[in-house]
Amino acid sequence: MAGAAESSDFKERFGRFAGRVRRRLWLRYVLSGACAGAGAGVPLALVLWWLREPEYRLHAFALATLAGALAGAVLAARRRLDDGAVALFLDARLKTAEAIVTAVELGDTGNGWSRRVAAEALSDDRENATRPRLFQRRHALLPLCAALAGWVASLPLRELPPVAAKPSGAEQVKLENLAGLEQIEALERLHGLTPEQERRMKHLAEQARELREALRRGLEKREALSRIAKLRDAIAAEKLTLGDQENRAGLDAAVAELEKRALTAKAAKELSEGDLTAFDEEMQRLAMLAEQKDREAAREALKDAARRAREKGARSLADALEREQRALEKAQSKAEALRELARRLEGAMDESGREAARDFAQSPNPEAQRKLAEAMERALKRLTEEERKKLAENLRKNLEGGGPGGASPMTREQLEDMAKRLEQKGADKLLEEQLRELAKRDPSEDAARERGLGEADRGGAEAQRGLGVIPTPGGQGQGRPGGLSQERQGAPGGPRGGDKSGGEGPGDHAGETKRLDAEELRSKANVRMLPGAPMHAASQGRAPARAGESANQLGTGVLGDVGPGEVSAVEGTEVPEEYREQVGRYFEP
Amino acid sequence: MTAATLPGTSFELRVSQAKSDCDRLKRAVAQVIVGQEEVVEEVLWGLVAGGHVLLEGNPGLGKTLLVKTLSACLDLAFSRIQFTPDLMPSDVTGTNVLLVGQESERGGRFELHRGPIFGQVVLADEINRATPKTQSALLEAMQEHSVTIAGTRHALEEPFFVLATENPIEMEGTYPLPEAQLDRFLLKVLVPAPSEDVLTEILSRTTGKAGVTPGAVLQKEQVLELRALCREVEVSGAVLRYAARLVNASNPDAAEATPLVKRAVRFGAGVRGAQSLVLAGKAVALMQGRGQVSFADVTRTAKPVLRHRILRSFEGEADGISVDAVIDELTASVPARPDAVERIVQGQ
Repeated sequence: MAGAAESSDFKERFGRFAGRVRRRLWLRYVLSGACAGAGAGVPLALVLWWLREPEYRLHAFALATLAGALAGAVLAARRRLDDGAVALFLDARLKTAEAIVTAVELGDTGNGWSRRVAAEALSDDRENATRPRLFQRRHALLPLCAALAGWVASLPLRELPPVAAKPSGAEQVKLENLAGLEQIEALERLHGLTPEQERRMKHLAEQARELREALRRGLEKREALSRIAKLRDAIAAEKLTLGDQENRAGLDAAVAELEKRALTAKAAKELSEGDLTAFDEEMQRLAMLAEQKDREAAREALKDAARRAREKGARSLADALEREQRALEKAQSKAEALRELARRLEGAMDESGREAARDFAQSPNPEAQRKLAEAMERALKRLTEEERKKLAENLRKNLEGGGPGGASPMTREQLEDMAKRLEQKGADKLLEEQLRELAKRDPSEDAARERGLGEADRGGAEAQRGLGVIPTPGGQGQGRPGGLSQERQGAPGGPRGGDKSGGEGPGDHAGETKRLDAEELRSKANVRMLPGAPMHAASQGRAPARAGESANQLGTGVLGDVGPGEVSAVEGTEVPEEYREQVGRYFEP
Repeated sequence: MTAATLPGTSFELRVSQAKSDCDRLKRAVAQVIVGQEEVVEEVLWGLVAGGHVLLEGNPGLGKTLLVKTLSACLDLAFSRIQFTPDLMPSDVTGTNVLLVGQESERGGRFELHRGPIFGQVVLADEINRATPKTQSALLEAMQEHSVTIAGTRHALEEPFFVLATENPIEMEGTYPLPEAQLDRFLLKVLVPAPSEDVLTEILSRTTGKAGVTPGAVLQKEQVLELRALCREVEVSGAVLRYAARLVNASNPDAAEATPLVKRAVRFGAGVRGAQSLVLAGKAVALMQGRGQVSFADVTRTAKPVLRHRILRSFEGEADGISVDAVIDELTASVPARPDAVERIVQGQ
């Protein structure tokens, strides 16, 4: 009984002491693990600082420390001392000459000597002597690493090393087919004013083809852009310069002459703006007028304008106006012939054909002309051989009798040709061709050339866009494409819009400008729409950001603040109405 | 009556009594033997553990006096055998003698004349001078605690305690005990030369009037009780494992052997050596008044227990590496506790 009590007492005491020892050892392992984790956490935080991570450096350190502590706990569990080992430790600390381990190992066997000695030794007042050392030297790493981690977390993000920027445009581009070049290549099909000009335009087309080939092989972007710009400059140089110093006085006189008549007022406006294509279209429209007298008046006005221009010494303008006059006459004869045929075929035409004839008579335009020609084509197809012959006979008789009233020699020629074809057997195709020819608009050579050059210039602009560059409006040719003198325009500033494209402003473009302390930002622009590529409407805003971050963010700086009465800060400016939207978008953040 | 026979006597009382008896014995011996406390202590280990002791020392160091004094203090029958080369086994064990006596007896009768081996404390002086045959007669008696004479086995009276001596100086004409027989001695105790102070005291005592011969301190029963109690001393598995590790490490072929052991040792201690370590450790613990054996007890007994059981190699002998040096390295290199516990104890 006494032995059992002694045994129980010893076991209880030993259990208590052993528990304390094991807990302390467990804690030591956890601390050691946390130290190891902290030791790994500091370099981890440093790596995150190096990678410019702003927020999670301390979190990473804490996680690493926690992971280390967990690992320590696991290791402690695996290395848990058994009772014998704990007893040996207690024997060494209490200097009990292995009485405790003997009592533990013998248990209830033996004579109880060791059990009694051990129980006596395991008194509470000796607990301190049996505590394993908790803190070791390596545990000093923990606060040290924590301090280091705190310092690393407080470090400002390192600045990115300056990256030497590649010269803009130095990158290679390789394109199979750059859109827009084909329009420049089409220049070789244009008729030049002189053989020299034709040669030059052919050369430009050749250069466009060479550029296309070079892009197919691979070319520096800036080289490609430079060549396109040169092409555009050359194209601009080929355009007629009706508003230059030599022709300016003649232009003014010619415009004044055209303005005398209301009929040619629009043509005068087109001519004054230097838009030969629009001027030619207007003259083509005048050529198709139903009334003979209107057609005559238009021809006379053009003739007078050419004369006045020549009187003022504007030779190239006068030549152009005379060429326009010849084109006008040709278009007039075609329209007359078409009208005459329509009258002859009125009975054979269907309702849509008759309607097309009425439309053409009321508002002659290329569309009405085309529809009429198609209607006549259908009518002619329905005619029998007999009816055709009869129609041809009627036409010839009319012509012998003097032809349609006021018909020009060209008209007479057209009608004779038509009669001849009507008589031929199976001449449907020829008749179709002739009708199409009658319906086809023949712009003047100058207009055709100017249109072709304009197309080529737009093609160049499109090619520039294809290379990722906003094209400048118009090339930098020697001649300025049209435009009245400053007196005629009556607007301040003059048409200078197209001259500054491609140049840098006087500002300092290095580094960044200082912040301006201002309540609002307002814009003012005098702009003039120029032929060429439309103004781009998209822009990206840049706003202040934290150092090292990407600057391409939506900013909310002063540009976002506008006055109560303004919309996008341009409401009260002198920007013309039609440009406000574009300018306003430019200033949007 | 001994403490063990007293009804209800606890183990603690017996251990306490044993310590007291041993202390008393030591004090009694110290009245005659000057210095040599360690030697006396080790001899008493042998006595308490129930083994036999081999004393080695130069002549005149008091080996015989120690044994005589011890036997006088123990009130045990003392006998001395002076081994010489012409000593016969029967001189040790005794023999049957034909007695031709009374006229009424025809032809006489044989009477056993017991030899000196039949003492309780036997001093086998210069055992290495006798022939191996004579040595074996003694060693057989040491092992069996009995002798066989003319086919009749005669048990020796307990406690039977042999103290043999060896003279390391005169090796000519001697028969060193073979290792297998050395192993029967529990301990080999080296008797050192006395220091100046001790020698001075010896001279003072031995050149004057005759000294006092101490009386018996312990009776036979008390000695037997000591031996029985020694066996009851508790020993943990950890201590046993430590003793085993020490013995294993003394074997040059063992993985635990140190480089010195591998170089200087030819044969290490065996099972009897480990048993002797534990028994001697128990004796040490008992004499210190403890009922359990500690690591320190085993470490303390390592030299006297192992020094006559480890055989040096030629290289060890040539390099002059003593067996005691090997044992010192063993006790230093073989850890008593597992490494994990040792680190925690050291605070690492």
